Amino acid sequence: MALLRPSSRTRRRDANGTRIWTWLMLPGTLWMTGFLIASLVLVAVLAVGTTDELGNPRFGFDLAGIRALADPAYTEVLARSLGYALLTCVICLLIAYPVAYTIALYGGRYKHALIAAIVVPFFANYLVRMYGWSVVLSDDGPVLSALRAIGLADAGTRILNSGFGVVAGLVYGFVVFMIIPLYAALERLDVSLIEAGRDLYGGPVRTFFFVTLPATRQGAAAGLVLVFLPAMGDFVSAQLMGGPDQIMIGNLIQDKFFQGQNWPLGSALTMLLMLVLLVGMLGYLRRTRKDEAEALR
Amino acid sequence: MTLVRMPSATAPASPTSRTRARRARAHRRPRVLIAVTGLFFALLYLPIAVVALFSFNSQKSLTVFDGFSLRWYRAFVHDDVLIASLGTSLRISLVAMAGSVILGVALALGLVRCRTRLGSLAGLVMLVPLITPEIVTGVASMLLFKGLGVPLSTATVMLAEITFSISYVTVILRSRVAALNPEVEEAAMDLGATRWQAVRLVTLPALLPAVLASAVLIFALVFDDFVLAYFTTGVDPQPLSVRIYSAIRFGVQPTINAVGTLMLAGSIALIALALFIPRLFGRRGGLDILSGK
Repeated sequence: MALLRPSSRTRRRDANGTRIWTWLMLPGTLWMTGFLIASLVLVAVLAVGTTDELGNPRFGFDLAGIRALADPAYTEVLARSLGYALLTCVICLLIAYPVAYTIALYGGRYKHALIAAIVVPFFANYLVRMYGWSVVLSDDGPVLSALRAIGLADAGTRILNSGFGVVAGLVYGFVVFMIIPLYAALERLDVSLIEAGRDLYGGPVRTFFFVTLPATRQGAAAGLVLVFLPAMGDFVSAQLMGGPDQIMIGNLIQDKFFQGQNWPLGSALTMLLMLVLLVGMLGYLRRTRKDEAEALR
Repeated sequence: MTLVRMPSATAPASPTSRTRARRARAHRRPRVLIAVTGLFFALLYLPIAVVALFSFNSQKSLTVFDGFSLRWYRAFVHDDVLIASLGTSLRISLVAMAGSVILGVALALGLVRCRTRLGSLAGLVMLVPLITPEIVTGVASMLLFKGLGVPLSTATVMLAEITFSISYVTVILRSRVAALNPEVEEAAMDLGATRWQAVRLVTLPALLPAVLASAVLIFALVFDDFVLAYFTTGVDPQPLSVRIYSAIRFGVQPTINAVGTLMLAGSIALIALALFIPRLFGRRGGLDILSGK
């Protein structure tokens, strides 16, 4: 019987098949939509909401939160956050490229172990790592002592409580997100391309800029986005390494929800942060799409 | 030792002195690059080493090591508040791990096999937590609970952590599911299994190493997570990382060195274990026939 009518059996199985995959997909998707999408919508709604006399959030339509964003005090913080996050991206790229390059091309059979040795501690407790980093960079910590010993710093040089301290914290916190995509790109890189560059009498510098760098541009672009996203939203680094004069937008948001109790303004700031990040993401997507189009041509 | 590939097939039979010199140069390791990498590793591990070293200090100082002592570990064990927080963190991690692994594995299976429009929509929803910074998800979750009138507590941390861990499980599992050969499931069904039995008895066992690895990883990530817990936790008992945050904001507390060292050691061990699990099962998860290519 089954042999005579295979089609109906297959059809039934296919129908069953799609149904079971949908059913498997549904709980997780509904859960995430319920919690995540709904909560993000709530942030947007509350950004135009109001508070009652007790400070509890009330729904409504009031642009006070949005208008407050134009306050120079907040635009200054936003500009500083952008500056620090972008600087962090650049420094991460400058640090991660040689490290990823060395491991990918000269790591030999220790490649995987070396990358694991970078990735594993990075996913360990962020707070404890930042706390240790702030001790290392403190006024009588090992880094400044070493710099003083070789004459690169004098007794008055400080790292903590400055913008440099915040950026140092952000770099330490997120440089791994630059190393992973760069390493992946460099690992895929065909080394004979570099040799070809050398064979065509390109010096090491010209070979690097005309062969290696273009071939790993997508890895670098992915790394820049992956570092920019968390760096822009971070508030721990500014708190531990920067002090009150170096606050970033994350600190403002935290303050509006915990100390200031101005939830509409906090929500408006959160939306502003999302907007900045969205612009960054879209820029990245356009860039990669253009790259792909060029690659196809 | 070096990875620079020798073009042996194309190289002339007797290389000129020029190419030989160039090859020698290629084989020489670039000292500057290696020095930079060495410095990077030193700075990467220095903060961890400092925290660990001074957790054994007999004095309160973070700059002068005065002598070996377990006094801060003893202080931690006898600190009822910190021990309660440790228990809270462990419970949160276990619940978040169980919840997100169940939902995430199912979602990964569905996303790979389901080629409907709903499937691609679900794929988009799944990406949102990965591209949203933690502070935004923290604020959003807190507002949702407050908006629904749910008082913040350990349970709200669990719910929030599940929500944002599902994506990680799904991302880890998706490539593993895609590597499975669906014909094996078909074969199981030709032998009389129902679709559900085929998934349960054939597909899930093949995914076991990846499922275990993602479970261990999620446990460690949730245990270490601070931002989301900070925004969604109630007053008492707070998760350990929230306690650590309050402590390090107000100056040196050597007990935190001891707690931090234990946490670092624990999560480094767990993350290393997660990387190692697939190898315990052999390269291809133990079931060669199920891997696609």
